[in-house]
Amino acid sequence: MAQLLAGDLNKTPASRRVWNDVGLGLLFGIAGGLLQAAVLHSSLLSGSLLGAGFGLIFGLVFSKQSSSAGAGLFWGLSSALLFWFLALTASMLKLGTHDSNVMLNDARGRFPELAAYLVCLGAPVGLALGIRGGVLPDSSRRPFHRSRAIVAGGLAGAVSGLIFGHWMWQGGFFPLIAGLGGIHSQFIRVILQFSVAFLIGATFGLLFQRDVRGYGSCMGWGLGYTFFCWFAGPLTLFPLLQRMPLNWSMDAATGLFGALVGYILYGLILGIIYATFDRAWIRLFIESDPLNREPDGPGFRLFRSLQWGALAGFAGGLVSGPFMFAAHVLSSVAGVATQLSTSSGLLVHLLVSTFIGMSYGVLFRDEASNLAMAGSWGWVFGLIWWYVGPLTLLPLILTGEIDWRISAASILLPSLLGHLIYGACTGSLFYILERAYTTKHMLDPRMSARELRRLRPVGTPAPALWFFALGTGVIIPLLLA
Amino acid sequence: MNRFVRRALLGALSGSAAATPLLFLSTSGRLEFVVAIAAGSMYAACVPPARGSYADSITAAASLGIPLWGIASVILLPVLSGNRMAWDAVGMQTHFAPLVGWILFGASLGAILKTLSEIVTIRFGPETLPALTPSTNLSRIVILGGGFGGMKAAECLEEELGSSAFITLVSDTNALLFTPMLAEVAGSSLEPSHISVPLRSSLHRTHFVRGRVSSVDFGRKLILLDGAGTEARELEYDHVIFALGAVSNYLGLKNVERLAFDFKTLLDAIRIRNHVIEMFERADREPDPAIRRQLLTFVIAGGGFAGVELAGALNDFAHGIFPDYRNLNIEELCVTLVHSRDRILPELSETLAAYALEKMKERGVAFRLGTRLVDAQPGLVFLSDGQISAETLVWTAGTAPNPLIKCLDLPTNSRGAITVDSTLAVPGHLTVWALGDCAGVIDSETNKPCPPTAQFALREAATIARNICATLKGKPTNNFHFRSLGALCVVGHQTACAELTLPFAPTRSLRFSGLLAWLIWRGIYVSKLPGLERKIRVLIAWTLELFFPRDIIQTIELGEKDAYGAAVGRRP
Repeated sequence: MAQLLAGDLNKTPASRRVWNDVGLGLLFGIAGGLLQAAVLHSSLLSGSLLGAGFGLIFGLVFSKQSSSAGAGLFWGLSSALLFWFLALTASMLKLGTHDSNVMLNDARGRFPELAAYLVCLGAPVGLALGIRGGVLPDSSRRPFHRSRAIVAGGLAGAVSGLIFGHWMWQGGFFPLIAGLGGIHSQFIRVILQFSVAFLIGATFGLLFQRDVRGYGSCMGWGLGYTFFCWFAGPLTLFPLLQRMPLNWSMDAATGLFGALVGYILYGLILGIIYATFDRAWIRLFIESDPLNREPDGPGFRLFRSLQWGALAGFAGGLVSGPFMFAAHVLSSVAGVATQLSTSSGLLVHLLVSTFIGMSYGVLFRDEASNLAMAGSWGWVFGLIWWYVGPLTLLPLILTGEIDWRISAASILLPSLLGHLIYGACTGSLFYILERAYTTKHMLDPRMSARELRRLRPVGTPAPALWFFALGTGVIIPLLLA
Repeated sequence: MNRFVRRALLGALSGSAAATPLLFLSTSGRLEFVVAIAAGSMYAACVPPARGSYADSITAAASLGIPLWGIASVILLPVLSGNRMAWDAVGMQTHFAPLVGWILFGASLGAILKTLSEIVTIRFGPETLPALTPSTNLSRIVILGGGFGGMKAAECLEEELGSSAFITLVSDTNALLFTPMLAEVAGSSLEPSHISVPLRSSLHRTHFVRGRVSSVDFGRKLILLDGAGTEARELEYDHVIFALGAVSNYLGLKNVERLAFDFKTLLDAIRIRNHVIEMFERADREPDPAIRRQLLTFVIAGGGFAGVELAGALNDFAHGIFPDYRNLNIEELCVTLVHSRDRILPELSETLAAYALEKMKERGVAFRLGTRLVDAQPGLVFLSDGQISAETLVWTAGTAPNPLIKCLDLPTNSRGAITVDSTLAVPGHLTVWALGDCAGVIDSETNKPCPPTAQFALREAATIARNICATLKGKPTNNFHFRSLGALCVVGHQTACAELTLPFAPTRSLRFSGLLAWLIWRGIYVSKLPGLERKIRVLIAWTLELFFPRDIIQTIELGEKDAYGAAVGRRP
């Protein structure tokens, strides 16, 4: 294994690299398959065959994309999720039915498999191939600044840990250590929660520095990473640390749904704070270099982003309005918050949409290089706002309390579609406005250069992130509801 | 074939092939099949085919499957089939199988689309991309002059014509000077670079050439530029816009032209500021009170906007730095404004002009009204009714169109400005246009000459850009008409005069004076200053000025001869 990990670092022929990747994938896949079989008490042979199949496919299809540990992790997680969907479909084919209730029950029964695929197969195989990809020489890869990753990640972990910890401490809730029972001291809980938060933050920069761009992608990666951390932490590691048997059942997951929302919110806070430190580092030490200056100043770009974001958000609000109305979101805003009629609720919705659109402009500018990409970031933005808005901020503003139970999420589930539609419309329109401006000035060579920089190099795990974040973000509340 | 049509066709084909899992996992298979084809087509149209690998394509499209499920299976299809929408968690769970179907549809769509795109690229070649480089048959439009009018014309042409024209701007400086704030530079209130906007950075699609025009061959449509150290250069044009501005007109007073400071450019303002400091430095070590008085007397010729604002700014600057020079007596300091008419600021109403005069007198500015400047010698300024001992003379009393106009075969008016018709085209030259201070523009509605101010030049530039665009497209051109929005003038520290025309009653105006007018002046001009960065710099400078005194650092070296003899040897 060491030879596989470290060997052929100088000049690896493409075909030889593929076989090495496949070999490494097989190795980790079989090990992961055996592990998940042991945890799920299934046949070791079928487990090892499943793991070998996963490792083989991952080595062949996804290994080239795994250019760093973080990229490998997300490609691994997304392919494991896809693998789970395929297994679910195969099961339905075997049963010869397409009844949704049967499939839903089957999916609920297979929830431990989902956790096992993610924790035992996707993450280790992806990480192994990602680490190997990271040490292989590649001139097309963005440079990795270790000191920047440590400083920005460490600071982000510490600051966001303090902010989130303080917020949760006020409510007496410790979602990041939700799986750890038997701790009665408030002080130890605070310290432990901060430690988990710091650990997540400190590894964030090391894993994803090459992949993230601005605030938007940092939030996206934060969302995806904390989804994984929820599976790896409260559902897996924490019970093991207490020498308790692993319980990946639906009931255990339902009990930890509040912790999942906590993890998600922490991921978003971490993403924003990491992006702040990272952007500050870039601004101070990289973009301040005259060789790397942008054609427009930051203030001008911020103003444009707010302007386009407001327009896009308003349009997104108009399109998503009927869906929100059908999901009774508008009346709840109007009825509870403002005591106004539904039409006034629509106005409030449009106003809020405009402001949220402005936040999209600031957070997600320069993330998309084509309309499909803009739409995908928009879906992620919509998902983020479902967790942040109706699930967290709205109850906090209206009642002063947060209800992160699955029962509350079930009631709000219909508005998730409205949020997704809003996000996609806002993202797409923002991209069109941004594109129109850039096209107009494209003769300026500095603008053309910026457009080239904006193109994500092939292999960045943005598609994997979209699929993993949207998949788990929608499937989990739907399954647990 | 259009690239989007090609992509959409491939997407429709891929969508139909990828819809197999949907047909198995959904109840309303046929409808979902149609939606799948449409979704595949739309998705493919948005994605450039060359980007990414199979892994990218599969996962990106699979992620699309999740919202597609929401839109199609949960919302659209129940509505189309006349069923109740599943607007609750339990209802949504009844569509769980289609959710998995849509995710697998997305993954299959990504894989099939990628395969088909590669096959089509190998079989029929890559997509036809729009040309990134401009065509060689573009209309060539050359703008001569980089002032307000020239820059605005370039911006409007960029807007109107996009990439269908090759726009070139020729200017002898590489920055637009924001002249309304020039007096603040002379008065050390603002840094010179704060009020200059680089033309190269500000104009995104215009090719900038720094140079001076030596002649224009209208027959061959050629502009000849001065060599200025390099080889002379020719520029061909289809349309040319003259926006050359004006220069100081010394009315034949040769000594004045030789000795006085100009007040037209940034360098003039920098020189005046440094010269004032030099005079204070020299006066501080001068034992003779008469010579000290001569050194500390600053004469400004001309009582228009430029002269009054400069007199106010210099008066404030001189009084502000005075405490740093311990050997001087305040009685020796004198800023004098010489004006040939009986009232200053003829552009403003009589009451405001009287207010300005009163305020400036209160602040220590001396006025010689109804007096003409007739000659100058080093240390002496000769007036029609006497003389003033002064080492500093600044000329703002007259302007004339750029001297190049005289050398061109173009019709001119009595002022020497290019004659233009109501569309701002030069009569007899269909492709030659002129605006601003170098053009004799007559308003098409009032038949009155338009004043040579920035607000008129900006509107003239926009009209010319529209008319050139119309000419190129064979459409009728527009006549120029604009009513002044008003006038603003700073006369001293936190004191100004403002006369704003009412939008719906152009013959009437609102008049402001004092602090409110000063705030209006600052608000309007800082908003007009091009570029956010400049605005912020100016706002910071103005804020700092509230707390700290103006600095007295000399930023350029003035020679002994230059300093003592005002401008002797300064001019070429």
